Order: sequence, then C-alpha cells, then structure tokens
Amino acid sequence: MRRTTERHPSDGTLRRLVDEPAGVADADREHVAGCPACLSGLAAAQRDATAAAAALGTGGPAGTGTDAAWHRLSAAVAAGRPRPAAAPRRRWALRRPLVAGLGVVVVLAGGGVAAAGDWLQVFRTEQVAPVTVTQADLVALPDLTAYGEVEVLEEPDVREVPDAAAAEAATGLSVPEVAELPRGVTGEPSYQAGGRISAVFTFSAEQAAQAAAEAGEQLPPPPPGLDGGQFRLTAGPGVAAVWPSANGVPALVVARAGAPTGESSGIPFATARDYLLSLPGIPEDLAAQLRGFGGAGTTLPLPVPAGLATSEPADVDGAPATVLTSRDGLVAGVVWVEDGVVTAVAGSLGADEVLAVARGLDG
Amino acid sequence: MAGGDAVRADLEQVFRTAWPRVVAVAARVVGDRHRAEDVAQEVFLSFARSSVPAGEAPGWLAVAAAHTALNHLRSDRRRATREEAAGAPDPTAPDVADDVVTRDERRRVRAALARLPRRQAVALVLRHSGLSYAEVAAALDLSPGSVGTTVRRAESALREELTRHAPHH
Repeated sequence: MRRTTERHPSDGTLRRLVDEPAGVADADREHVAGCPACLSGLAAAQRDATAAAAALGTGGPAGTGTDAAWHRLSAAVAAGRPRPAAAPRRRWALRRPLVAGLGVVVVLAGGGVAAAGDWLQVFRTEQVAPVTVTQADLVALPDLTAYGEVEVLEEPDVREVPDAAAAEAATGLSVPEVAELPRGVTGEPSYQAGGRISAVFTFSAEQAAQAAAEAGEQLPPPPPGLDGGQFRLTAGPGVAAVWPSANGVPALVVARAGAPTGESSGIPFATARDYLLSLPGIPEDLAAQLRGFGGAGTTLPLPVPAGLATSEPADVDGAPATVLTSRDGLVAGVVWVEDGVVTAVAGSLGADEVLAVARGLDG
Repeated sequence: MAGGDAVRADLEQVFRTAWPRVVAVAARVVGDRHRAEDVAQEVFLSFARSSVPAGEAPGWLAVAAAHTALNHLRSDRRRATREEAAGAPDPTAPDVADDVVTRDERRRVRAALARLPRRQAVALVLRHSGLSYAEVAAALDLSPGSVGTTVRRAESALREELTRHAPHH
C-alpha cells in the first residue's frame, strides 16, 4: 500500500508538477491530489507558469540559417579577436567577463573612483601591474556567488555618444586628444561613455562551506568578522575614443577612466584578500602572485593570459606604465594610472606606436 | 591563427548542433531574433577558445546565452530610462510580432527580467527554453530539487514585476 506524505510538498515540487510530473515522487503527487491547500498552490503555479511562457514567447522562427551563421562565426574566429576568457567550467552562474589583452582597455574604461561614505576604503589604485595567468587559471576562477551574495548596484551602461564634448558632459572626464594619429589610422573616432559600475559582495561562511563541500574540499575557517562582511567594488565613469578598422579590431582606442576601488565595511582588506585567495578553486600560483601585490593594496592587477599577451614596464611622461603586446604582435596597448585616473591606449599597432600616441596625448 | 590562441577542434560540430537552441535561449530574453543571433555569435566566440568539455557544452552554451542576453537587457533598460527622462523618442527596434503580448508588454517583460535576481532569471529562461529540470540543475550547479523552487520564485517575481509596472491608463 502506498502512503501519501504528511508534509506539504514545497513550492518547487508543485512547480515541477506543472510541467515535469514524472520527476515528482508518487507520495508527493498523491498528497497534492487530496490536499486543497496544495491544489490551490498548484493552480497558482500553473497560472504563473503559463503567464511566464506567454511573456517569454519569442515569436517567429529562426532568422539566419545555420550555414550563414557558421560562416559569420568562422570569419570572426579567423579575425583572431582577443576574446574575454571563457566562463569557468563549473560555476558559470555569474559572469562578469574576465578580460584579456585589448579587453583590459574595455574594462578599464569602466574604471572609477568610489565615494568613501561610511565604507572603509581598502585599496585605491595608484599603480598598474600585470599578473600573468594562463587561460586555464582564468577559467578556474570561482564564481563569487558560490561564496555569498553578489548584488550589482550600478551598471556601467557603456554607450556611444556623438562627440568628445558629449562624452565629457556625460562622465565629467575629458577625452585626451591624440596629437598625431599613427600611420594607417584614419577618419574620425566614435566616442563611448560609461557611468559607474558597482557591486557589493556579501561573504557567507555557510555558502562557502557548501561550495567547498561540493568541490570535495574543506573550507578554511574564515577570519573573525568575515562572515556577513561586505565588500564593495566600484569603477567608472569612463570615456573612450575608438577609431574603427575593417576587421572588427579597433585600429586605435584611447580610453580614460577613474581607477577601480575596493572597499570593506569591516575587516582589513589584506585579511579578507588572503582568505579569499586561499579558498578552494583559486589556483595557488595566481593566489601567490596576487599576495605579492603591495601591502598598501594600491596595485591594480591586470589579468594577462600568458598564452595571449606579454607585458613589460614603460613610462609615460614619468608615470610608470605597462605595455601589453599580443603574442602574434598584432595588438598592443599601454596602461597607466595617474592621480586616480587610468588611461589606456591600444589598437592594431606596435608597442612603439601605442607608446608614441600615449606620450603625445594632450589633456 | 596565433599559436597560443587555439580554436577548439570540435567547434563546427558543436555549433551546428547547438546554434538553434542558443539563439532560442537568447531570443526569449531579448525578444528579437536578430539581436538574439548577435548574442549567440558572441557566446560561440567565447566558446571557440574555451576548454569546456564537449559533454558540458550544451549546458554551458545555454547558460552563457542567457547571461549574455541578460547583460544586453540591462544596458537597454538604463538607456531607456535615460531617454524617457530626457523625453527622447524610443529607438527600440520593432519587435518580432507576437500574438500574445504587445510590443509595450514585451518591453516591460524585458525590464522585469533584467530586475530579477540573475540566477532566477537564468533558471526561468532555461526552463522555458525547453531544458529539463535535470539539465537546468546541471547547468546552474543547483540540486534538481531546487530548480523548481528557483523557477517558481522567478515566475512569481515576474508576475509581481509586471503587475507593479503595468501601465496605469
């Protein structure tokens, strides 16, 4: 004789009854069949599911055929654009893209300065230093949602604006003028402007322990005060002038942004950083490199995939700068920080050319 | 092709199998086939150089499509808010005709999706794109039991969002 459960099945179980009843235990199904409260819940789940299905309807069949789409992708792949690193293998739930090569410039274009408020500012970017990581490291970085809540407070909303004046009006940052365009770069640039981006990460020891257990590892005991501790990362606003080229990779990009800042509401940054770096899933060699960043926490680590780009130090009018060059030599960029503002010059150019542009910037 | 920048050998095979579904997932979010294809191209470009095991590719691609499309929505929403504030005309491209919801309703749906907690939004879109509970669970690293809960919450939140932001005239 089969028995029905005494307990009401969860809302999730009721939801599954709507469209995958075979996945629900017999006992739960029988309970629902004889329980007015659950039947009412099931009806509500059914209504919401139907409404959602209607709301999410896509209308119409696929547009481009697969062959045409494949040709488009092949062309883009062949153009060899540096791509953001792929999402991690296991935890893809939250993807703020990790960047590589030229992509660094895009991220820095969203960089900015945070208002301190009642937050303890934990690091402020005053220097740029590269961290060399392999793509394998990048794809192994854990999603922070496994270790707590991530709430995006402000989106950067990077968009095109008509001209340099509009970019400045939108962000308060002036677009540096290029004194002399490198050979092969012609025409008028398009201008991009982006507001501030900020997110708060709230560490949860319980979630972190669960994530570690799922990975078959033990969570190291969190330092006192970290559980429930909040970290705010803020960047932006930023502006960029972009000279296009035929192959999709910008011929030249000049970008400027407020430097990213990180703040903590409680425990010291160094303590939090060292603990976070020791969590299961962070490659040890990357963690070691990050720990090497100045005790004052004023260095912005740039993830430079070892297989894609090389980096070397340089200077731009006295400011220490980092030059990044793609392994194939087709793309180069230079990045430096001065007075809390990050400036980057990059493009389908040589390292000497981007440095020449950087040193000739006006404003 | 640069040496250290290898494109995976199974790209075309995976692409031909998964393209329709990746577009479909993105289309549920952005509500426009052409934009959905742009999103799908972006997703496959990332996939091309990834080391995602072939067996995990379908789930990876579906999740990436949902995230990428949701990222597009968020920037749309802020642009729309700003343009409304500035009194500018709405530049939204005409949506694919849909018998069930009007264009304005579609815009509200997209705004509501963008406001949902990300994990809920992704689970919702994947389930409504035809992924089974087990597939959604694997793709989002959830237990199969919690997929129903997450989808249920998302649908409930979607209804509340659409009700709250319904036009009052």
